[in-house]
Amino acid sequence: MSGSVDVSLEEPLSPVPVGPVPGDPAPAPRSGLLPALRHGRGLVGVVLVGAVVLLGVLGPLLAPYGPTEQVPGANLLGPTSAHWLGTDELNRDILSRTLYGIRADLVVVFAAVPIGAVLGVLLGLVTSWWSVTDVIAQRAFDLLLAFPALILGILLTAFLGPGLLTVGVVIVTLEIPVFGRLVRTAVRTVREMPFVEASQVVGAGPLWVLRKHVLPNALEPLTVQLAVSMSVAVFIEGAMSFLGLGVRPPNPSLGSLIKDGVRLLHDAPFFAVGPLAVVVALVLGLLLISQSLSEARRA
Amino acid sequence: MSPAVPVQPRRHPGRLRRSRPLRRLAAALVAATTLIAATACSSAVDELKASSGERQEGGTLRVGALNDIIPARIFTNSGDAINVLIGSVYDSLVDYPLDELEPQPSLATSWEQSEDGTRLTLQLRDDVTFHSGRPFTSKDVEFSIKTWADPVWTVQLQRTAAAITGFDTTDEHAITLTFAHPLSNVFDLLDMLPIIDSESIDQLREGKAFVGTGPFEFASWSPGAKISFTRNDDYWRGRPALDGIDVSVIPDPQAQVSQLRAHQLDLILGASYRDFESLGKEDAFRVNQWNGAEGQVYVGTNVTNPALSDVRVRQAIAYALDRKRVVDEVYRGAAIPISLPWPDYSPAYDADANATYDFDLDKAKALVEEAKADGVQIPTLPLTYPSENPAYGAIAQIVQSDLAKVGIEAELDPQEQAQVIQQLIGAKFEGLWILNHAYAHYTPSTLAVSAYPFNADHNASLYVDADYQAIADKVWKQPAAQGTDDGDPADYTALNEALLKGSFLLEIAITLPQDASSTQVHDLGQTKRGEPLFHDTYLTK
Repeated sequence: MSGSVDVSLEEPLSPVPVGPVPGDPAPAPRSGLLPALRHGRGLVGVVLVGAVVLLGVLGPLLAPYGPTEQVPGANLLGPTSAHWLGTDELNRDILSRTLYGIRADLVVVFAAVPIGAVLGVLLGLVTSWWSVTDVIAQRAFDLLLAFPALILGILLTAFLGPGLLTVGVVIVTLEIPVFGRLVRTAVRTVREMPFVEASQVVGAGPLWVLRKHVLPNALEPLTVQLAVSMSVAVFIEGAMSFLGLGVRPPNPSLGSLIKDGVRLLHDAPFFAVGPLAVVVALVLGLLLISQSLSEARRA
Repeated sequence: MSPAVPVQPRRHPGRLRRSRPLRRLAAALVAATTLIAATACSSAVDELKASSGERQEGGTLRVGALNDIIPARIFTNSGDAINVLIGSVYDSLVDYPLDELEPQPSLATSWEQSEDGTRLTLQLRDDVTFHSGRPFTSKDVEFSIKTWADPVWTVQLQRTAAAITGFDTTDEHAITLTFAHPLSNVFDLLDMLPIIDSESIDQLREGKAFVGTGPFEFASWSPGAKISFTRNDDYWRGRPALDGIDVSVIPDPQAQVSQLRAHQLDLILGASYRDFESLGKEDAFRVNQWNGAEGQVYVGTNVTNPALSDVRVRQAIAYALDRKRVVDEVYRGAAIPISLPWPDYSPAYDADANATYDFDLDKAKALVEEAKADGVQIPTLPLTYPSENPAYGAIAQIVQSDLAKVGIEAELDPQEQAQVIQQLIGAKFEGLWILNHAYAHYTPSTLAVSAYPFNADHNASLYVDADYQAIADKVWKQPAAQGTDDGDPADYTALNEALLKGSFLLEIAITLPQDASSTQVHDLGQTKRGEPLFHDTYLTK
C-alpha cells in the first residue's frame, strides 16, 4: 500500500519556554550548606574556630607583653597571676607568644589555603576540558602529590630559606593538586550532563560552560575540602616550625611554641599546654565544620 | 650487651577448647616462664654484684653525638663525633693533664729542647703498633706533622706545624725536630697532633679507614647515622675494658636526652645545660663537668662589614652582651663571664682587663649614637649560629634583644653546624656570628696564631692589625716553656691590649664542657682538647 500523507502544520513552531511552566509544581528551594553550621557539630566548629580567630585578631590588645619581650628574672616560671601560661627559658610570657603565634597560623590558614584552592580550581577547570592539557596537568599534579608535605617543605626551604612565606608557599603548592583533582572530577561528571550538551548545541563555548555549569556544581565539595585543607594547614605549619623550617625565631608560631614546649617538657610541663589547646581547638573546629558541611551536602 | 628483646602482644586463649598440642605448648610456656624467672633472679643477684663498681670487661658503650664526622675536617676538633674518633683511634706524642700545661709522656717517652728553642729531640716508644699491625716509628711523626702543615686539612695549628722545618729520623725510635724559629707552643702541637698512619691516608680522606695507635679501632661509618669502634686488644697502655663504642649521630639534643632516659644510650654529649642540670638531679644519671677543657662562647664580627668596620659599633656590641644572664640562664652556672678569652690559670689572664666590657647598655647606646652621628650606617645585621645546639639559639635571642635596646637590629640566621664551620674556616660570615672557640686554655700564643677566629695572619673576622700581628708573633717565637715558665707578663699585657683595641671577637663566657651518662658507665675521661677518653671506661650491668 502506498500513498502520501498530507501533513499540515496548523501551528507554527515556537521556542520551548525556559523555566517553570505555569501549572508545574514549584521546585523546592535549595537551602545550601550554611544552615548546617547553625546547629550541632557545625555550630561547635564555628564557635571553636571563631574563638581562635578572635584571640588571634585581638591578640595585640589581649597580650600582656610583647611576643619577644624578655621580662627580667622571669626564667621558665610556672603559671602565675602575672604570667597565666608561665614564661619560657628566655623570660618571655607564653600567653603573649601564643596569642601572637595564632596570628601566624591564621595567615597560613586563611590566606595560603584559599590561594592554593583558587589556583587549583582554576587550573583544574581550564585543563580538564581538553584531553591534552588534562594529561599534562594531571601528571604535574601526580608529581606534586608524590611528595609528602614535609619533604616538599624541606625541599622548598632549601631554596627559599625558612620562614612564614616558605610555609605559605608549601601549603599553596600542596593545595593546588588537591583542588585541581577535585574540580576535575566535577568537570568530567558535569560535562556529560544533558544540559551541558544542550548548551553546547546552542553554541555555548567551553569557558561559558565551565563558568555557568561546572563551577557551580563543584562548589559544594570544594567548600568541604577547603575546611579539611585548613585543618591540614595548621598541622603543616606546626610540623615545619617544629622542624625549624617555619617561622624564624624569635617570632612565635603555634608550631614553634609546641616545639619549645616539647624540648622543655621535663622541666616545664605546663609550657606546651596553651599552644596545644589552641591547635586542638583550631583543627577540631575546622574538622567539625567540614564534617557538618559534608553531611549537609549528602543530605 | 644483650640484644633488645621485642615485646610480643599478649594472646588470650578465648573460649576455644585446648587441644593436646596446645596443652603441651602451655606446659612448655610454664617451664620457660619458670626458667626465665630463675634467670631473672640470678641476673638480679649479678646486678647487685655488678653495682659494686668493680671494673668489668665487655659491653659496647652507646654514645649520642650531635654532629657527624666530616673526613676533610677530621683534624679540626669541630664536632663531638670527630672528637670521639680522634680520642679513641689516635694517640699523641705527649698529653697535657686537664689542669695544667706540663706535658706528660705518651708516644714520646722523653724530650729535650735546645737552649735557643729551635730544636727538640723526642724519644719514642718502641712497643707501639698501628691498628694495621705496622710498627710506629719516627717516620710516622714526620708524616703526621707534615700532614698538619698541609693547608688542605685546614688544621688550626697549621702555622706551628709548618714552622717545623727539619726532621731527623735516622733513629726509628727518636726524632729531632728543627724549627724555623723558637716555638713557644710546640708542646701544644704535640699534644693535639694525632699520629696518623701514612699508608691509609687516602682511605682517611674518603672516610673509609681511620688507622691510629689508639685504644679503639675504627670499624664502620654510616654517614649521618652511626660510627662504630672495636677494642684494640694490643693497645700499648693495656687492653680497654669495653668491647667497642657505637656513636649514634642524633642532631636533636632532646632526642639524645630521651634516649638516655630510655636506656637506649649510655652517654650523651650534646644536651642543653638545662637538661644536664635536670639529669644531674636524678639518681640514674651522672653528669660530668670537664674543668680544664674549657671552651669560650663569643660573638664574632666581620670587620669588613661597613657597619662593623667602626670599632665603636663593635665595642657597643661588647658592652651590650649580658654575660651574667647567659651564664645563669643558658649555661646554668657552668660558665664564667669574660671580656678576654683566658681562664684564670692562664699566664695571660688579667682580672682588670677581663672586666673591660662589663654589661652596660647606656655605654653601648652612647657609642652607637656617637658612631651614627659620625655617619656610620647600621643596617640590620645577620646573626649566624649553629641551629643544632640549643644554647646558641638562646644566646642569639638574648643578644638580639639587647642589641635592639641600643639601636642595633640583628636578624637571626640559624644554620647547620657544618655550614657555620665552613664559613668560619673560610671567613665568610656577613655580619655577626655566635660560636665556641678553644685554645685559650693552652699556651697563649696558640690562640693568637692558630685559632680560626684569632689567627693574627688570617682570622674569621678578617681583622688585620700590625700591632696585633707583631705581639702575636712575639709571644709565639719564644722557646717552649713546658708549663714552668709563665712567659713575659708585659707581652701578655700587650697581647690583651691588642685584642681589646681591635674588639673583633667579643667574648661572652668560658664554658665548662659537660656530658651525661647512666650510672652504669664508669671512669670516663677527657683530654684537654675536649676529646672523650674511653680507655679506662667500663660498664656495669
